[in-house]
Amino acid sequence: MSRRALRALPLNLAALVVLLASVFPVYWMVATAFKPTTDINASTPQLLPLHPTFEHFRTAVGVDGFWRFWRNSAVVSLGAVVLALVVALMAAFAVARMRWRGRQAFVLMVFVAQMAPWEALLIPMFIIARDVGMLDRLSMLTLIYFMATLPFTIVTLRGFLAAIPPELEEAAQIDGASRFEAFRRIVFPLLAPGLMSTSLFGFITAWNEFAFANALIIKNQDNRTLPVWLSSFGNVFGTDWGATMAAATLFMLPVLAIFLVLQRRVTGGIVAGAVKG
Amino acid sequence: MKSRLVAVCATLALAGALAACDSGSSADPSGNGTPEPAALTVWFMKDSFSDKIVQGFKDDFESTHPGTTLDIQIQEWDGIGQKVTSALASNDAPDVIEVGNTQVAQYAASGGVTDLTDKVDDLGGDDWIPGLAEPGKVDGKQYGIPWYAANRVVIYNKDLFQAAGITTPPTTREQWIADTTKLDTGSTQGIYLPGQNWYTLSGFIWDEGGDLAVQDGDTWKGALDTPEALAGMAFYQKLQALGDGPKDSDEANPPQADVFAKGDVAQVISAPGGAVAITKANPKLEGKLGFFPIPGKTAAQPGAVFTGGSDLIVPAASKHQAMAYEVVKALAGEQFQKTMAVEMSYVPNKTSFASVLGGNEGAAAMAAGAANGHATPNSPNWAAVEAKNVIKEYMTKVLTGGDAAGAAAAASASMTEILGADS
Amino acid sequence: MLTEAPPSLAPTTRDAPARREPRFRIAAAWPYLLVLPTVVGTAFLLVYPLVRSVVISLQHFRIGELIRGGATFVGLDNYREALGSRELWDVLLRTLVWTVVDVVLIVGISTLVALMLARLGKRMRLAVMSALVLVWAVPVLAATTVFQWLFQSRLGVVNWALTSIGLDQFDGYTWFADGVATFAILVLLVVWQSVPFAALTLYAGLTTVPDELFESARIDGAGAVKTFRHVTFPMLRSLFGLITSLEVIWVFKCFAQIWAVSQGGPDGATTTLPVYAFQVAQSLHKYDLGAAISTITVLILLVVLVPHLRHLYRTERAEA
Repeated sequence: MSRRALRALPLNLAALVVLLASVFPVYWMVATAFKPTTDINASTPQLLPLHPTFEHFRTAVGVDGFWRFWRNSAVVSLGAVVLALVVALMAAFAVARMRWRGRQAFVLMVFVAQMAPWEALLIPMFIIARDVGMLDRLSMLTLIYFMATLPFTIVTLRGFLAAIPPELEEAAQIDGASRFEAFRRIVFPLLAPGLMSTSLFGFITAWNEFAFANALIIKNQDNRTLPVWLSSFGNVFGTDWGATMAAATLFMLPVLAIFLVLQRRVTGGIVAGAVKG
Repeated sequence: MKSRLVAVCATLALAGALAACDSGSSADPSGNGTPEPAALTVWFMKDSFSDKIVQGFKDDFESTHPGTTLDIQIQEWDGIGQKVTSALASNDAPDVIEVGNTQVAQYAASGGVTDLTDKVDDLGGDDWIPGLAEPGKVDGKQYGIPWYAANRVVIYNKDLFQAAGITTPPTTREQWIADTTKLDTGSTQGIYLPGQNWYTLSGFIWDEGGDLAVQDGDTWKGALDTPEALAGMAFYQKLQALGDGPKDSDEANPPQADVFAKGDVAQVISAPGGAVAITKANPKLEGKLGFFPIPGKTAAQPGAVFTGGSDLIVPAASKHQAMAYEVVKALAGEQFQKTMAVEMSYVPNKTSFASVLGGNEGAAAMAAGAANGHATPNSPNWAAVEAKNVIKEYMTKVLTGGDAAGAAAAASASMTEILGADS
Repeated sequence: MLTEAPPSLAPTTRDAPARREPRFRIAAAWPYLLVLPTVVGTAFLLVYPLVRSVVISLQHFRIGELIRGGATFVGLDNYREALGSRELWDVLLRTLVWTVVDVVLIVGISTLVALMLARLGKRMRLAVMSALVLVWAVPVLAATTVFQWLFQSRLGVVNWALTSIGLDQFDGYTWFADGVATFAILVLLVVWQSVPFAALTLYAGLTTVPDELFESARIDGAGAVKTFRHVTFPMLRSLFGLITSLEVIWVFKCFAQIWAVSQGGPDGATTTLPVYAFQVAQSLHKYDLGAAISTITVLILLVVLVPHLRHLYRTERAEA
């Protein structure tokens, strides 16, 4: 027993190092957010927030417009994700379950689309949005985020679909169900968790996006999103690292919440896709 | 405070009426009387004015222009070039935009700004201070309307000076260094000078007889590598070492007013208006702030300073040109100018308004320095030099122990390249 | 770019009047109808802007043209200017170093972490996995803000830690003033952010390898390295391929982190191709040159990924 424990020691030590290295920056962010300013500015940092306070969270939330920007971000991100899921599901089904000419080319296109240099498209997008009267609109952002997340969503969903044996649908069809019905009744329930977890990636991408939100929302500042606002942290809070960290924490929370529920299936889907593909 | 403001308003209303009669002949082409009411969007820069001034202007303008509403949006300096360019290129731009006097030239040259040359008389442009009027002018046409100016002074903590036994502020560089060295003991910082305060560096360079860039015919050449400019940088380095200013950031990051407000910093280089932010952050310092012009090489002449400030532009894509002009007129007019000059210790856009600054300690120090005011190179590409942080990074490199001459040569070369680009 | 679907749609519609075997025809059209939204979306929201970008790269397109319109074509001048400047080659080299360093670290560390996870006890494994998920969930902007705070020169905990173990030169050390230091911090940041995805995915892949294989390798007396080389890696080859190419894409294109932390500075030490293109376009208002640099970026990325794309194409074909 003790010898085994001894043999496992280096392994567990390594695990501990990984654990600490991963968690520390996040911990430090949250800890700073809870420390009173005097402790943050102390020359010897305190590892624990000994005098926890919500002061910085109040400052962050109290900044004019916080909730509006939060809501804008949520609306845009969810809109993009739902759109991407619907469109991607159709495409993924075609790729995973059907034989047709041009399929490889389509898959290749989807993969190449992942390489799109989005920052380089700022100016063309700006010109296009201007010419069709979509500047200052959240719907333009939704469309862009939809496109930015679509390729990855297709690849992942296809992996999930591939992991579900087609025999299940075929059996249902033999029992007289139409193909659509078979999909709805048999495949969809099995796929649902995968759908939700795939949406996570889209959500993170959209939730994080800064460059387009910054460039396409010009005059109507009520339509700004959280990252744009967050990027001006330094300017909003100045030296107030506490409030900055509190705002960063609040920014992270929704993603973290969804993540904790869903992450397992995401990796599962990718593996299924890659191992099969 | 309030009563004084009302009194000022009353006199100014009268003056405004007179001015209106006076300029009756140069009527604006958009028609007679007041333009159509509209919902206008106006961009001011962060920290240009106190909330009180902004709100006061908004209320005032909306009440004198019934039906018109002003949405005054405060913009950050970070990435402002991209923002203003996008606005000018859009179909529905903000109606009035504040732009820094070092950046106005490039927007004016872009073709996206309304030419206000025919309004110059209406606005009394003869009397404008050149440091604001010149940059707003391209090919003889006035695009940018002068708004306000400021130059840097030294704000000091009277308590700390007294504790160090310094009774009169220094007037020469030598004294300044000696005093600052004396102040820089224990937990007290002699001066808080961040490493990238390039406007201050520019002053030191001008003091030595150097410049940031020099024009030779049509081409500009970076000049940070001249012996004069290097001497200016050496002085900056000497001064910067007498405090704990970060070597890799500028005065906005962290805001130096907040740092000074902590009370353990003896001096900071700032526009006098910075005192407003300091006392806002720490009301205990009220009455304990002193001002003196940045010392020069001799007591006879104060140090050279950069004349900073802002112009106002009306984007060509603004849908309410006539009303936008009304806003510009009000902001550049006597009433607003005098109010903000007193509150913020800014230099108003006309020399004739400057009398309101009498008795204002900060403004007095500033006015002394203003006599030796300079501007950044007047090239439409200058804004790109700023945007690429050429000077800032050069400063950091020298301050963190890099080879000054080599770094200066590299920075000059990159300035030459940027200034030489055709726009 | 590579859209092929529309032509195949045509026969179905043309033959429609015949209506002899409608079920068959509709069935044949289904896949195309299903991918149609994707193709249309890609055409309008990706291909079209890309084409516009390429067009801009062939024009004289500066701040005036953006505002007033009326750009003139200048042929390949912008490409000539971009490729002719030393700076681009410096940036290119830096981008390659950046990508290689990051991807090697990410894939290396992720593999080790995944192998470690497979061997850990249940509780420890759960703890490490939760930590990885936590990191994964941290939004980019929050992460960059945190790293700036960690390495802050005066109050940053890193300087404090280094100073307190006796490295006095780090007292008030300004990380972001030094090119190499800033580069290193950015590598650290990106690796820190990327390892969770790669490690968790690889670990999930590992769990699909039948235990018997490891068992027999052990019986054959294979050590850890040998087992990895002869059993684990071959089994997961395509997974490694996928992860490596995804990471290459992500790291090569990485922009937000670099821009938020250093804007490509100090003194260009962290200017990679996407940052450079953005600087040229947005700070210098040379939209034409920026577009040319972006086109070059995409071409390089394509070339780098040709082996993977070819592999992808082949496997798709084998399946068809």
